Amino acid sequence: MALGKEILVKGLSKSFDENEVISNITFEAEKGDIIAIFGPNGCGKSTLLNILSEISDKTKGKVEMQNFNPKKFSYIFQNYRESLLPWRNNYENIAFPLRLNETEEEEVRRKVVEMEKIFSFKANLGLYPYELSGGQQQILAFMRALITQPEILFIDEPFSALDYENNLLLRTQLQKYYSKYKPTILAITHDIEEAVHIANKIIVLSKKPTQIVEIIENDAPYPRGTEFLNSKQFAETKKKVLSAFQRGALA
Amino acid sequence: MKKNFLIGIIVFFAAWWVVAAVHLLDAFFLPGPVEVLIELAQLLWNGSLNFDIYSTMVRIGIAFAIALIIGLPIGILIGASTKIYESVEFIIDFFRSLPATAIFPLFLLVFGIDDSSKIAVAAFGAALVIIFNTAHGVMNSKKSRIIAAKLMGAKKLQIFKSIVFWESLPQTFIGIRTSISLALIIIIVTEMFIGTYAGLGRRIIDFQYIYNIKGLFAVILLTGAIGYAINMLVAKIERKVVHWSGK
Repeated sequence: MALGKEILVKGLSKSFDENEVISNITFEAEKGDIIAIFGPNGCGKSTLLNILSEISDKTKGKVEMQNFNPKKFSYIFQNYRESLLPWRNNYENIAFPLRLNETEEEEVRRKVVEMEKIFSFKANLGLYPYELSGGQQQILAFMRALITQPEILFIDEPFSALDYENNLLLRTQLQKYYSKYKPTILAITHDIEEAVHIANKIIVLSKKPTQIVEIIENDAPYPRGTEFLNSKQFAETKKKVLSAFQRGALA
Repeated sequence: MKKNFLIGIIVFFAAWWVVAAVHLLDAFFLPGPVEVLIELAQLLWNGSLNFDIYSTMVRIGIAFAIALIIGLPIGILIGASTKIYESVEFIIDFFRSLPATAIFPLFLLVFGIDDSSKIAVAAFGAALVIIFNTAHGVMNSKKSRIIAAKLMGAKKLQIFKSIVFWESLPQTFIGIRTSISLALIIIIVTEMFIGTYAGLGRRIIDFQYIYNIKGLFAVILLTGAIGYAINMLVAKIERKVVHWSGK
């Protein structure tokens, strides 16, 4: 998998008025990594992604994103409802990033259809996002983010609006996309099962001021089906993550 | 049409009928609804109000069109920049707090005594409302969508065209609805008190002078109905254009 370092974070800290919320975080992501960022509620996981994507400023440290095309970057926000465009129908929402680049209609249609297939999206694309369920809207946000074939993908709580069945389904579909295009993924989650299921590295964060407790490798091969959830390797990795979480969050 | 829609109309006419029937007010000065409706039907039937309706509608239409053409771009421009908004906030709020009809003499000076001064003052009042609401719509558009579009590599103009403009629309429509009502009020008032050759306001004041009270109320009723119909029409357009609002 080692195709070269893509994201380098060194000694990153963030303070709000003297209050340090993120303290001295260092990690690296290689091309094609799926990294889960796992930690207690309110520990600044979203702040971390926001700093990496330059939405927020850092206080100290170094962030480098290299060896990638800055146009090939996507971020799926936690409040997907407030990032979709309610005045555009579902088709135009998915196509939006391509419209910004003035991609030709034929190409747009081809890519939308591809996304529809990968995510087995059944809802009518002529409808509007507000006519979809929360889960379908979340999948819409996924399709919109992936239609540009990003080299780096940030996801904040990827499966939060889905029931368990659709949650599992979307994990499978995301892996399907991943096997084809191999983006580097940073995904925030507060669900230990999600983290161990999809990530090859799990960064466990402590409570505030947030530090890295441990980075746990999880090298089971992709695609990981639901049978992986019953495997010994899954149970062992989950145990390691839980133990790190207990040290960091409950200490 | 909504189920309880008729209740309001029935209550309105019933209350009027009761007040008139028990002679709560002098019967000469408050005729009953039936008499007024018959009078209105006659006035409409014999066509004597046609030119007045036409004149008033043309004035409102032109005033509103000017207000929209001037108000929308200015509102968007002001709303797009906090610096510009802060520097003109006083002017807008000052004139918004002032009844536009009070500065009519100024408009008479600039535009003369014919229709153009009436239209100008109505356009002025209506434009302020559109500017204010559009600017606020633009200023209060959600940051999350703008950030998302920026991360997708959208340029400033693209962000404006595909996000900010749409986000501001619901508030803009509030401004549009208020401004049409205001244009109607200002036009009627100027027709009544400044004088003109034709118009519903002129008709109201004429009927008042000659003590044609039935005619007076008939024209008032008609003016109210026209205002209501315009409001409904804009509301219908609004639901079509900003169908996604609040969802």
